[in-house]
Amino acid sequence: MRDEDVIELREPELSAAERLYLPQIWDGVKCTVRHMFSIKLRNETVRQYPEDSRDTRGEVRVANYRGVHRLNKDPDGRVACVACLMCATACPVNCIHIEAGESPWPDREKYPVKFDIDELRCIYCGMCEEACPVDAIELTPQHDLVGRTRDEMIFDKEKLLHIYEETKALKPRKNPAITGYG
Amino acid sequence: MPTIIIDGQEIKCRKGIPVLQAALDAGMNIPHYCYHPGLSVVASCRLCLMEMKMPHPQTRELGWDPKLFPACQTPVKRGMEVRFNSEKVRESQRHLMEYYLLNHPLDCPVCDKAGECNLQDYAEQFGSATSRMVEQKQKNPKKDIGPHTLLYSDRCVLCKRCIRFVAEITGTGEMAVVNRGSRNEIDVFPGMPLDNPLQGNVVDLCPVGALLDKSFLYKQRVWLLRTTKSVSPADSRGQTIFIDHNENGIHRIRPRYNERVNEWWISDEARFGWHHVQREERLDQPRVRNSDGLRPERWEELPQVLRQRMQTTLGEGGGSELALILSPMMSCEEAWLLAKHIREMAPEATLVLGHVPIVGEDRTFPKGFVIKAEKCPNRRGVETIIEHFGGNTSTWSDFLAQAVEGKFKAACVVGGYTEEWVTKEVAAALAKVELLVVHDLFPSALDETAAIQIPSATWAEREGTFMNCDGLIQPFERAIPPLEGVKADGQFFYELAGETGLYRAKKVREMMAAELPQFAEVFIPCDVPRHAH
Repeated sequence: MRDEDVIELREPELSAAERLYLPQIWDGVKCTVRHMFSIKLRNETVRQYPEDSRDTRGEVRVANYRGVHRLNKDPDGRVACVACLMCATACPVNCIHIEAGESPWPDREKYPVKFDIDELRCIYCGMCEEACPVDAIELTPQHDLVGRTRDEMIFDKEKLLHIYEETKALKPRKNPAITGYG
Repeated sequence: MPTIIIDGQEIKCRKGIPVLQAALDAGMNIPHYCYHPGLSVVASCRLCLMEMKMPHPQTRELGWDPKLFPACQTPVKRGMEVRFNSEKVRESQRHLMEYYLLNHPLDCPVCDKAGECNLQDYAEQFGSATSRMVEQKQKNPKKDIGPHTLLYSDRCVLCKRCIRFVAEITGTGEMAVVNRGSRNEIDVFPGMPLDNPLQGNVVDLCPVGALLDKSFLYKQRVWLLRTTKSVSPADSRGQTIFIDHNENGIHRIRPRYNERVNEWWISDEARFGWHHVQREERLDQPRVRNSDGLRPERWEELPQVLRQRMQTTLGEGGGSELALILSPMMSCEEAWLLAKHIREMAPEATLVLGHVPIVGEDRTFPKGFVIKAEKCPNRRGVETIIEHFGGNTSTWSDFLAQAVEGKFKAACVVGGYTEEWVTKEVAAALAKVELLVVHDLFPSALDETAAIQIPSATWAEREGTFMNCDGLIQPFERAIPPLEGVKADGQFFYELAGETGLYRAKKVREMMAAELPQFAEVFIPCDVPRHAH
């Protein structure tokens, strides 16, 4: 713990109007009421989902749509990831958690023992896809992901590999970049 | 102090050092693999080649010599002029980098050295982006060369630093170069694994990812680690270290250069002596004994409970039946705070220096590196503090003998040892004490009789200073927050003494310095820049 790590915090002093809370509440109600009665605003912002979605409108471009992640498999059916943690490093919101281990295959040194992505924390920026040296992690056109708990939305390795199986017909894996003894 | 000219810049340097060292000291980034200030010079990597002004054989006129000289093997002479920024030198560096990368695998994404690798840095700074090599790469094997170390000889650049280290510093000589030509590789002799007590240093010495630490293998990428300056608690010499950690805890320990103690090296005890921080059994809440055994207590209540129990047991008076056992694992600030508070509460309390663990004998290596038999960091500091307070003091063995006779009604025992330390005799003697307060890391035999049990924090979770066996006072910083439920020792003693706010060792040290002037100044070794590894 260095001196610059120590931050002294004090509660800010509230003014008399702020302590009353009523002006803030009034501001909020005003905004809600404005949107309720403006037909123009309503038509601009409301879509009838799922009858009218980006899929039905044909707006989803398979090649570069940034939806749920998948973990690609190599031609032998093994996880393509080499656990280099480049995606976790590039991730601006730290939603990728990888535990690396010694791989059981002779042609590879590392592989991910655990690979978790917190889909709730993710901002779908696609940096992980850019960073990956073996094109193992990719974003798919799937965007309608649902879950009942937060834990359910932390996708593990099996689930991410399963998404690959689901989407590989729609978006096949690109040729991976060469690393290793190239 | 001779003055030399490097790249047109006048530089004052120490006498007799190589030009390379003078350039590195002046903050220049000169590529080098084989040179290390702690080892002998072999000038085999040829990366630090420079141009030098020499007298012309006939005219004796000074001019740039057509030949390049290794900067690591050329000692500085008054008035000499050399340059690294010429086209000739840069071309030589470019060729050499291409040569080093001929057979080097392109596996940086899975290499543990990536991010602190000199081959990576130099390839970027002095090499070119492409390789002209079209043949199949020569692939040397991966080897398990010792209980803690792996050798990936395909990544090796044959700087032979590791070989010189085991020959010169440890004197054990387990490693050598075998085979010839492009099949050159480092290996250990048959039946002679790399297992000397300093062997971990070869991993730090390795400028590339050839020598790897098994306990760190594949664990983390180095750029995700944060580094904290610390002092090792492994022995009484006070080896200075870097603790590399991130939110998942400590990941490794590296040596920190210290000209007065351990230079560039640390012992394996210091390197691997942090696993107790993550042990499952650690105590994680304060507990107080009532009619149905030890029950959890809140930290906020603890000082009050402690004071109350002391009063009921000792009654009014000077507290001559109270003993305070200070552990040599404590920092100077913590020992001073606690001793001061107890003495204010009970002026006649006996101060005791606790158990000092000693294993074997001191071991001295050929170049003077010493591993101490005394496996605690601050025996001398605690002794100084006990001496300063004076009054009733006792040694550990005398205290145990008196405790068996029932001389003490109350005792505060500070432990914090990394290994089990409570022997049968200790437990039997302390069982005679009516009010036993135990402040320790792990459960022990003392828990059966302890009235109050307080969890303590490891050195990586605290801050303070250790006084080493030669009286050198060195500060260490907090690397990681204490285990959940544990309050750092200093913070607890601070609150016990009635202070509020955050415990900062520096603040306490200033208070101490008023009474103990030697604590006014601490020794912090100079920082060595990253490029001058």
